[in-house]
Amino acid sequence: MALLSKVHPIRSHSGAAQGGINAALGKNDSWEAHAFDTVKGSDYLADQDSVDILCKEAPGRIADLDRFGTLFSRTPEGDIAQRPFGGAGFPRTCYAADRTGHHLLHTMYQQCLRNGLRVLEEWFVLKLVVSEKAMLGLVAYHIPTGEVVPFKSRVVILATGGYGRIYSKSTNAIINTGDGAALAVDAGAQLMDMEFVQFHPTTLRGTNILISEAARGEGGYLKNKHGERFMSRYAKDAMELAPRDIVARSIQTEIDQGRGFDNDYIQLDLTHLGRDRIKSRLPGIRQISMDFAGVDPIAEPIPIQPGQHYSMGGIEVDNQCKAAVDGLLSAGESACVSVHGANRLGGNSLLETLVFGKVAGETARAHPHTGIHDEKRLETTAKIESERIEDIKGGSKQEPMAALRTEMKDTMTACFGVFRQGDRMAAGLTTIRDIRKRYMHSRVGDHGKEFNQAIVNHKELGNMLTAAEAVAMEALAREESRGSHSRMDFPNRDDSKFLRHSIVSMFGDTLRLSYKPVRLGRYPVKERVY
Amino acid sequence: MRLKIWRSEKDGKNGRYDVFEISPKPGMTVLEALFEIQDAEDDSLGFRFACRGAICGSCAMMINREMRLACRTQVAGLDESKSLGLKMFPALQRPPSLAPTGEILVEPLPNLPILKDLIVDMTRFYETYRRIRPWIEPEASRSEFSKMSQEDCAKVEKYGNCILCAACFGSCPVCERDLQYVGPHALAWAYRFIEDPRVGDEDTRMEIVSEDNGAPACDFVYNCVKVCPKDVSPAGAIRRLRDMIEKTKGHAGRPRSQ
Repeated sequence: MALLSKVHPIRSHSGAAQGGINAALGKNDSWEAHAFDTVKGSDYLADQDSVDILCKEAPGRIADLDRFGTLFSRTPEGDIAQRPFGGAGFPRTCYAADRTGHHLLHTMYQQCLRNGLRVLEEWFVLKLVVSEKAMLGLVAYHIPTGEVVPFKSRVVILATGGYGRIYSKSTNAIINTGDGAALAVDAGAQLMDMEFVQFHPTTLRGTNILISEAARGEGGYLKNKHGERFMSRYAKDAMELAPRDIVARSIQTEIDQGRGFDNDYIQLDLTHLGRDRIKSRLPGIRQISMDFAGVDPIAEPIPIQPGQHYSMGGIEVDNQCKAAVDGLLSAGESACVSVHGANRLGGNSLLETLVFGKVAGETARAHPHTGIHDEKRLETTAKIESERIEDIKGGSKQEPMAALRTEMKDTMTACFGVFRQGDRMAAGLTTIRDIRKRYMHSRVGDHGKEFNQAIVNHKELGNMLTAAEAVAMEALAREESRGSHSRMDFPNRDDSKFLRHSIVSMFGDTLRLSYKPVRLGRYPVKERVY
Repeated sequence: MRLKIWRSEKDGKNGRYDVFEISPKPGMTVLEALFEIQDAEDDSLGFRFACRGAICGSCAMMINREMRLACRTQVAGLDESKSLGLKMFPALQRPPSLAPTGEILVEPLPNLPILKDLIVDMTRFYETYRRIRPWIEPEASRSEFSKMSQEDCAKVEKYGNCILCAACFGSCPVCERDLQYVGPHALAWAYRFIEDPRVGDEDTRMEIVSEDNGAPACDFVYNCVKVCPKDVSPAGAIRRLRDMIEKTKGHAGRPRSQ
């Protein structure tokens, strides 16, 4: 057993999660209430039996973290503190100041060290190798040496995060390039609900670094250039704590209708919270605002704008984290169970990684020994991949790889952003396919073996283009508005046609679209009002 | 504006400085400048990165002879910005001397072997971290949630904020001359666990940090405190560990009087 990662594990993007992790711990709260909020937040596209697992298991996973020593913020009585979060009927978001992801990631890594888990750092997976009957293993590129090596494995769990970097304005780490989605679909698995891309309402203007929902959970206001708390127009009860899709659209509407600053941003005002509360509850936000925008939120409002934040879609898996290929599992943001449906609630993503991370581990352990080996096939695949890498090195320094990447990101942001429209998306899809054609001929200038970042960039761009095409195909075909997918030409939800999951699979080298029913349950499908 | 960047193969072989012209935009960071160079001029330039938001700890390097996260350091005004006032040690005094105005000197972190350009081999850094046993032994049988006072949490939280970027390790004269020293990062983490009232095996960890290459090896020049991008203050933790060690020694060494 080994953990293989393209970066050292503690560099992973989970560390950037700020606000918290949900669990119904309160006396008057219940996992059913958590499940209801999650299903409603998903605009009824989440599979309700999967959501039940997420919410039922939540307190147990928080207890695990507590035993592992996570430094959760505490109440005056010494219990784990919980704060209100968007779309939740109860303050059920546990947190470690506004650095929850950092503390969770380090806790989990420390437990890996304690258990002596073998970690292979700076390996980039090039290809999953599967036979018709079983997972055979994978081929990976060792970034420090440039070696291409086959790994035999009967189970592979992809926990590779999202595909946020297909957009130009994103809170995501630069490494979030949809590698898992591309590897899985290439191996015969399906991608589900890729069109559901969460735009976080509050990202720092310019750099789009995340400004946590916790800032609003702690009482922050959103204001336009007239100083209005404009959320009263869009969600009069929930106000700033409406779910993310609604707040992001409200902000974008204010900007589009000329009530933003410089037609580009609005303000997140924390000044009324006072120095002490900001310093104790939101120290990370304050540091980010000062470092990257030159603004101290104690004294001034923070300039913010919506930005891509989370990939609701991903590799289609069942409640045991199994994908459509035997021996292939996925958990976390790379997977789509689906527990988030058309819109994820804040505080549910860290939770998903822990709940379904554990499930994936158990499924992997229980996976039968098939006795099927094919070392020769692994070796052959490694040889082919190695030749491909040498082939990519055939260019000069002036090849337009970076320009292709920029074009893809700008296309996705312009055509598949907060608001979408059929004609623009159709044009966007054509552009993405055209970029892919040109990409096939692009080469890198660096011919070296050690730490050839250009090769990694090249491979990542290929993966991103696969994810981008899947997003574009599914978004164009979904002629309704649901959760984060908001169409100007189809402004209403259409349950008769689209209360179903979009699926993309690979046939030959083409992606094809199909659909799959949603598993409904105890919560009847209703109009979603906050 | 120019970036003067260290280029080399493994262990500094064929080392040289390459100079690149950049056109700074408002708010542009050193990391963004490196990306611009990689995209437009030389895609063989090697450096580590991930989050670009000062949380993942990948991009610590030496910028104008001070250890900083490239993603958090803006190129504008860098040559006029206030010096951190680091205590000098040989790695900081090598030629070339600091760049003239309008030029930023970008080099790999000292005290760790170079792998390529700005990328260093972090093995020693991670191994010393592991040496202090940076984890909690979960009591498998406990079903109740723990209690921890806000004060106890606040005492250790600061040290738990460490992102393992190795800026402190690169700034430390002891790390340069003593290859066995566990280093400021490991001692900060050790203190975080030792002071946590929920941890049961602090004796083992105290033994590790009390060894000659542990807390006693620190020079207290406070470079680690000055360069830490997360205000962790490793030297503060080391000072407290030293006090604890003195106290234990005091008890052990004092003859028992009835």
